[in-house]
Amino acid sequence: MTLKLIIGNKKYSSWSLRPWIAMSVAGIPFEDTVVPFESDEFKRQVGDVSGTGKVPVLIDGDIRIWESLAILEYLAEKVPDARLWPKDIAARAHARVVANEMHAGFQPLRNHLPTNFARRVIKRDLTPPVMADVKRIEALWADCRARFGKSGPFLFGAFGNADAMYAPVVSRFHTYDVDVGSDTRAYMNAIMALPAWQQWTAAGIKEPWLFEADEVDWPKTYNLT
Amino acid sequence: MSLKLIIGNKNYSSWSMRPWIAMRAAGIPFEEILIPLYLPGSREEILKYSPAGKVPILIDGDNAVWESLAILEYLAEKFPKANLWPADARARSRARSVATEMHAGFAALRQHCTMNLWLPPKPRPQPPEVLADVRRIDSLWNDCRAEFGQGGPFLFGRFGATDAMYAPVVARFRNYGLDVSETARAYMAAVMELPAWREWVDAGMKETWVMRHNEPDWPLVRGVEYSP
Repeated sequence: MTLKLIIGNKKYSSWSLRPWIAMSVAGIPFEDTVVPFESDEFKRQVGDVSGTGKVPVLIDGDIRIWESLAILEYLAEKVPDARLWPKDIAARAHARVVANEMHAGFQPLRNHLPTNFARRVIKRDLTPPVMADVKRIEALWADCRARFGKSGPFLFGAFGNADAMYAPVVSRFHTYDVDVGSDTRAYMNAIMALPAWQQWTAAGIKEPWLFEADEVDWPKTYNLT
Repeated sequence: MSLKLIIGNKNYSSWSMRPWIAMRAAGIPFEEILIPLYLPGSREEILKYSPAGKVPILIDGDNAVWESLAILEYLAEKFPKANLWPADARARSRARSVATEMHAGFAALRQHCTMNLWLPPKPRPQPPEVLADVRRIDSLWNDCRAEFGQGGPFLFGRFGATDAMYAPVVARFRNYGLDVSETARAYMAAVMELPAWREWVDAGMKETWVMRHNEPDWPLVRGVEYSP
């Protein structure tokens, strides 16, 4: 049975990107359904399947899973060969720590720098709480890379769930031209070079929907075309 | 090597309660290290164990694991016989969705009804967003109990990681006198009857550290005017 992933707009939905990029990079076959936020279809489709009225939702036969991190755990169990968590127990524990830190944290960053794949790269001034988030994320990426990332360009070497959880942060750092160190930039470049990343970005740019709340210079949009 | 769990005040630290109650209820031995929060030096003390500077933190030899849900996943792997997640794949996937929804969600409830075990239980007026969180949690609990809870009084039958994630919510519902369904009340009663729950609550009640921003009846603390 084909897995189905229900997602929001590719332009704005940072949470949807996480399972989408994990499945795409790992080569797990799935069908995606884009349900634009705030549409009647969104309320009907997403409200029905998830109970929370939130995307993403993964459907596997009679199983419905919501919350990006719960979906990633499900995929890691269902497709062990995809190695979505590191094999080594210490590395795996730490991958879950940083994935969880992302899942529940960095609110100032998320509010101030909304994911917007269609926006041109334009620098945005940061507030002190956002700067603290950036600093913490840079430190935790550097720590993962140094301790566990020797075998490849990603946080734990090969691409996995921890990278998927932080993929929207890569987009935020890039779009708003956040000042970061060279190691951070190298990691961001590795993520942005993934064919799945480019596919998602190309689709996001083409989307017609505009959301005021996610456009930080509204009514100006500075979209890529 | 014995496990060490670094926690905050038992009266107030909802996040610390989660792995603590999971380990106690499952009979996993550990040493507890309690760091009272928001005192001079608290942060420095926590940073000795984790660069994120937050409790709880589980120390297992060279591994330091933080974030309550990541700790529960670690324990579930390390102690498979504790059955912290349900054995059935479908139940397990639901248990993770519901646990993860708690991990990042219900901000209004958490902000307006901070955990406070010695707060005299009685209804206090709450804004609509808190009531919406309560309704959503009540509905999640009802769904889990109806679909997966046949084997016992907890969300998935026997006590597990998802119950541990919601244990602080049980405390909030009790102390803030929030109105919930009969199924939710029965579930709360089952959680509050656990010896692990009682042990945590008894210890929290004996603490003397008072955090003003977590005392909704200030200057009343424990129902009487506070004097340090």
